Amino acid sequence: MLHKCMFSGSGGQGSALMAKMVCLGAIKEGLKVVMTQTYGIEQRGGDSTAFVIVSDEPIGSPIVENDADIAVALSQSIYGNCFEGVVPGGTLFTNTSIVEEPGDAEGFEQVLLPVSDTAVELGTVRCANMVMLGAVLGKTGLLKLETVEEVVRESFGAKKPKLVDLNIEALRTGFAAVK
Amino acid sequence: MENLSSKYGKTLNLDKLTSYCPGCGHGIVTRLVGEAIEELGVMERTIAVVGIGCGGFSHHYMDIDAIEATHGRSPSFAVGYKLAMPENIVFTYAGDGDTCAIGLGDLMHAANKGMPITTIMVNNTVFGMTGGQMSPTTLEGQVTATSVKGRDISSQGYPLLVPEMMQSMAGVKYLARESVDSPKAIRKAKKSIRKAFECQVKGLGYAFVEVIVPCPTGLKMRVKDSYERCANEMTDYFKPQVFKDETEQGDVA
Amino acid sequence: MTQETLFLKNTETFAESLARCGVKYHFAYPITPATDVMKRMAVILPQYGGQMMQMESELAVSSALAGAACTGKLAATSSSGPGLTLMHEAIGFMCAAELPCIVFDSMRVGPGDGDILGAQSDYYVVTRGGGHGDYHTIVLAPSSGQEIADIMPHGVRLAYKYRAPVLFVLDGVSAQTTESTTLPAYNDYSAEFDTSEWAFTGTKDHAKRALITGSYTHQDGYEMNEMLRAKYEVIRNNEQMWEQEQVEDAELVVAAFGIHGRMCRDMVAKMRAEGRKVGFIRPITLWPFPDNAFEALPESVKNILVVEMNHGQMVDDVRLAVNGRVPVHFMGKTGGDQPMHTLAEMITEANRILGE
Repeated sequence: MLHKCMFSGSGGQGSALMAKMVCLGAIKEGLKVVMTQTYGIEQRGGDSTAFVIVSDEPIGSPIVENDADIAVALSQSIYGNCFEGVVPGGTLFTNTSIVEEPGDAEGFEQVLLPVSDTAVELGTVRCANMVMLGAVLGKTGLLKLETVEEVVRESFGAKKPKLVDLNIEALRTGFAAVK
Repeated sequence: MENLSSKYGKTLNLDKLTSYCPGCGHGIVTRLVGEAIEELGVMERTIAVVGIGCGGFSHHYMDIDAIEATHGRSPSFAVGYKLAMPENIVFTYAGDGDTCAIGLGDLMHAANKGMPITTIMVNNTVFGMTGGQMSPTTLEGQVTATSVKGRDISSQGYPLLVPEMMQSMAGVKYLARESVDSPKAIRKAKKSIRKAFECQVKGLGYAFVEVIVPCPTGLKMRVKDSYERCANEMTDYFKPQVFKDETEQGDVA
Repeated sequence: MTQETLFLKNTETFAESLARCGVKYHFAYPITPATDVMKRMAVILPQYGGQMMQMESELAVSSALAGAACTGKLAATSSSGPGLTLMHEAIGFMCAAELPCIVFDSMRVGPGDGDILGAQSDYYVVTRGGGHGDYHTIVLAPSSGQEIADIMPHGVRLAYKYRAPVLFVLDGVSAQTTESTTLPAYNDYSAEFDTSEWAFTGTKDHAKRALITGSYTHQDGYEMNEMLRAKYEVIRNNEQMWEQEQVEDAELVVAAFGIHGRMCRDMVAKMRAEGRKVGFIRPITLWPFPDNAFEALPESVKNILVVEMNHGQMVDDVRLAVNGRVPVHFMGKTGGDQPMHTLAEMITEANRILGE
């Protein structure tokens, strides 16, 4: 089992938090995980990409080189990079609330979800990342939904208990949307 | 020759032939340091961290563990040592070149940290071991091998007043400048050096004593003249005094 | 502390591994990309009864480290290129003085102030001593967080066995990578060694000891260097470490350390799947360099490709080790938005060499 992921968004959208949730969940499931910071163009303009590799074996190269089998684009400005970064056979998750004209995927699958709108309906746009993460889990089986829910409880539980229910609801909504 | 060890106790090792030049002030200061350690009964847990230059010889005349540090870094060595072994008494001993030329930064930060460490700076206004070059404490107009027309204050600055630089540091608990130009001055120096060690034994904080000494070889002077210079020109500028004495507090250690 | 798996930056893993293997005192000065080590040490060392002490410069750092090492207790420091340059004064001193300690260099782009991006540009300076005089330090180059944790006990033992500084080097990209790592349970590995034979702890239970690295007679300097020569010979003969895979029938062997060494595993797997006879050697000790790995290469090996995040440093040691028997090729870069060659570029170059 080996998944290479890229989680991209603009400042404040929480793409790095998505990546961290995946990493902590992977450890809970006894998997190996590596996260690298962004280099190059992604660093600029408030955009950020977190690259995560999850495997059940020791991980070789920690670098994701345009060969992500799971890519997430939360914002328009980062969409092109994600579109280019998906490996044939991979899946691109696009936030259609913001990306107005998604490209035509060739050789890979594209999941179109208006996660920002969904998040607003749930109470705040800030949980759009968790809606999308739920969708990633539902579509790819990267990790179990329950595992990530546990990570959410542990991460927010102590300091921000109010956020736990909201984020779990967001995860479940995204998960259900692709089932 | 009569062996004087029994008269001075165990710390000073008087069996060893001295490497100090005839008339050198280091011999007096080394003895005073040895006496302070002996009187305080801390010889077995005292470590000398010595600098490069003639001051580096000093530990050979004391039966205590010693570290010959890199040039100027003995205060930093002492900080690391004291952190790892706070129960031991650590002192640094070096000349003006080691202490306030290459090692001024290490010295000031060690002093400012205020850890219980003792520093003895032996100031003879010249680099002695390398043959009499200008040091930061060389007096205005003083001729040396590298200030052949005398120290020019317009480009070389004024002689550095080291304890004065430490006066505002709250972590420095004992701060003095002494001289060895006369028996009376030596008695005062003995008292200050002892207090500087006591300060550490009590765990109070950093202690610093500068001692003004002659270097007849480096200054190319007769011994008698070098002591007169010490009593006059040198101590006119480097005025002996106790800047700060906060040792009369209870034990912290 | 018990064994546990955490999600940590590799700089943090380094700090945790130091503390869990017995380091009580850490001296450092802030510098990117190594600062996370001292930050973590400041938090965790008090839990082990130790302390992180921030110094005013790397000169003071390495001097304080030497002072602490004189007591026989385990101390460490962490820095990056410009800081390491300043530290070499006391690192050389500690080699001459035979003092054990651990030094970590999170390598960045040089020379001068360079760039804070990761690099492998300190290979020369760490493997050739670094300061004046005839000396070496043992250099360990782990390539992942797990390897940092796994090799730390060995690093501490080497420092005490040979009474010498042990350097860890990691390119800044690996240093800043965050990954799952299983940290060891606490065990002070330095406690396996009796330091009472040499440590400068006061004359209570031994006759006067003086730590002297300067020569009082010319014979002193000669004898110190002969002692070091003999010690380094033993280390060269006994302490080479490397990882190798699929070298047995390889036509091309890729040699790389650190992150490129880690990438070699994927490279070889991909190229083998395409029927290419490629293997790799990943030096784990940079000094002593694993000459034995290269001397034992099978006849099948027609070319060697060295990949580094610099303009060609370790490649010299590979050439010395093979001594002209096999052509040695090099690819490397340092700095830029992507401060190293990609896996795709490495495979392209390997295929080009195989096709010649």
